[in-house]
Amino acid sequence: MNQTLDRRRLLATAALGGMVGATGLGSLAPDAAFAAEASAIEPGLPDPNFAEGRISKISGNMLLVTGSDTVLHSIRVTDGTSIWKLRPTTFDRVATGDGLYARGVRLPDGTLAADSVWVNIVNVHGHITSVGRNVLHLDHKGQRIVAHVVPQVSAAVYNGAPAVSDLSLLRVGRHVQVLGAWHPDTNEIDIATVYAAA
Amino acid sequence: MIELIAALQPLVVGAVLLWSARVKLLSRHAAATVDRSALVRLVGHSRALPAYRLLGGFELTLGGLLLLPPAQPWEAVAAAALAAGFLGYLGYARRVAPTSSCGCLSTQTAPVSGRSLGRAGLLIAAAGLAASAGGGWFTALTARPTGGTVVLLVELAAVVALSPELDRNWLLPLRQLRMRITHPLRGTSGVPLLATVQQLQRSDAYRQVSPLLRSDVREHWDDDGWRFVGHAARYQGRPATAVFAVPLADPEPTSVRVAVVDEATGQTLISLAGAPPAAGPHLTVVPA
Repeated sequence: MNQTLDRRRLLATAALGGMVGATGLGSLAPDAAFAAEASAIEPGLPDPNFAEGRISKISGNMLLVTGSDTVLHSIRVTDGTSIWKLRPTTFDRVATGDGLYARGVRLPDGTLAADSVWVNIVNVHGHITSVGRNVLHLDHKGQRIVAHVVPQVSAAVYNGAPAVSDLSLLRVGRHVQVLGAWHPDTNEIDIATVYAAA
Repeated sequence: MIELIAALQPLVVGAVLLWSARVKLLSRHAAATVDRSALVRLVGHSRALPAYRLLGGFELTLGGLLLLPPAQPWEAVAAAALAAGFLGYLGYARRVAPTSSCGCLSTQTAPVSGRSLGRAGLLIAAAGLAASAGGGWFTALTARPTGGTVVLLVELAAVVALSPELDRNWLLPLRQLRMRITHPLRGTSGVPLLATVQQLQRSDAYRQVSPLLRSDVREHWDDDGWRFVGHAARYQGRPATAVFAVPLADPEPTSVRVAVVDEATGQTLISLAGAPPAAGPHLTVVPA
């Protein structure tokens, strides 16, 4: 706990203590310091640095994932991997049976060293058919989806404006797009962001 | 009582058939409605619209015959056969093209559901009852106006309740009203993480360090009016942490600061404070 606090204090001090354009390592010529590494993806082939599927086994820091095209992926989660499961979270919250999207670097042995993992992420379009206490019932092409509002997490974007935490402008019958986290093997999701017109 | 109900069924079935014929014959959106229905799968694309119109003509004729005297039992039998045909068609549509729309009582898109099947079943039952009725519906209604009206209202309400395509006209307004009264999504307060991420992604600081970022948001915490957002980064081949500081009270992208820190040594590799707006002429874009 203290370690976390000390670490965060170090990072916060670094972020707030800065001067415009200052760097600890001399000049910051954009082309030299910030040149992005060129990606080498063959046109027409699957992106080697991306994987998706359901987690069939977790061993150590490796995730064994079965893709929806039945391709098996080994995904290595490192200290630098970001893990999203409705919110930025930690590796211990990832469970067998979860679905995921992962992006990273494919190593020579075929494993994907993940930079970012999004667990159970879904992107759903639908109509709001009814609204209950902190729950939206969505009609997605005739199928019912139950979308739960998670206090302090769920956000709404109305008309493309900056996100707010007030979801009360949503209306029954309107079209919405929901980014959220699926409850595996159910028709229920937790809402991360709901996009709507207001 | 059962005689009264039976005697009124030609009116119910006839009214539903006329309503259905109106959608098929007079709607300007009939072609689009057919395209969404399973009729295209059943008879082919070129014959779907003529078949739809023909069905509408048939419904109009039968509905008119049922409503107009004299009451003939064969009219009710024909209506029962037609309703059985609907039931068969809906079962076919549900099995073969589950995402297709019914196209029955409205041009609104509504996939075939258990309710649509229930409505076809109700029509079969109503038409079967009508076949057993002796006199005309008008005589029955004038003899017992109150009871007759109640029966008619209950049955028409059942037809409407079993029609998913009519929900927009009564069910959604009721649910909107309930929402307006109960406020089930009263909402929470506070700045959502997404708002912070949107603000920092529009900032100059983010634009400058974004090629170094390797991961999505790894952690975030609030402290003393600031929200700190950490990403994994890589700077000159060494792993680092990019931490953005975003003021919670100030939505301007220019107030975002960033530092790239080597956590192994504690050394700050890069540190950028928000740049003041550039001098000189600039275009102000105001969100609509």
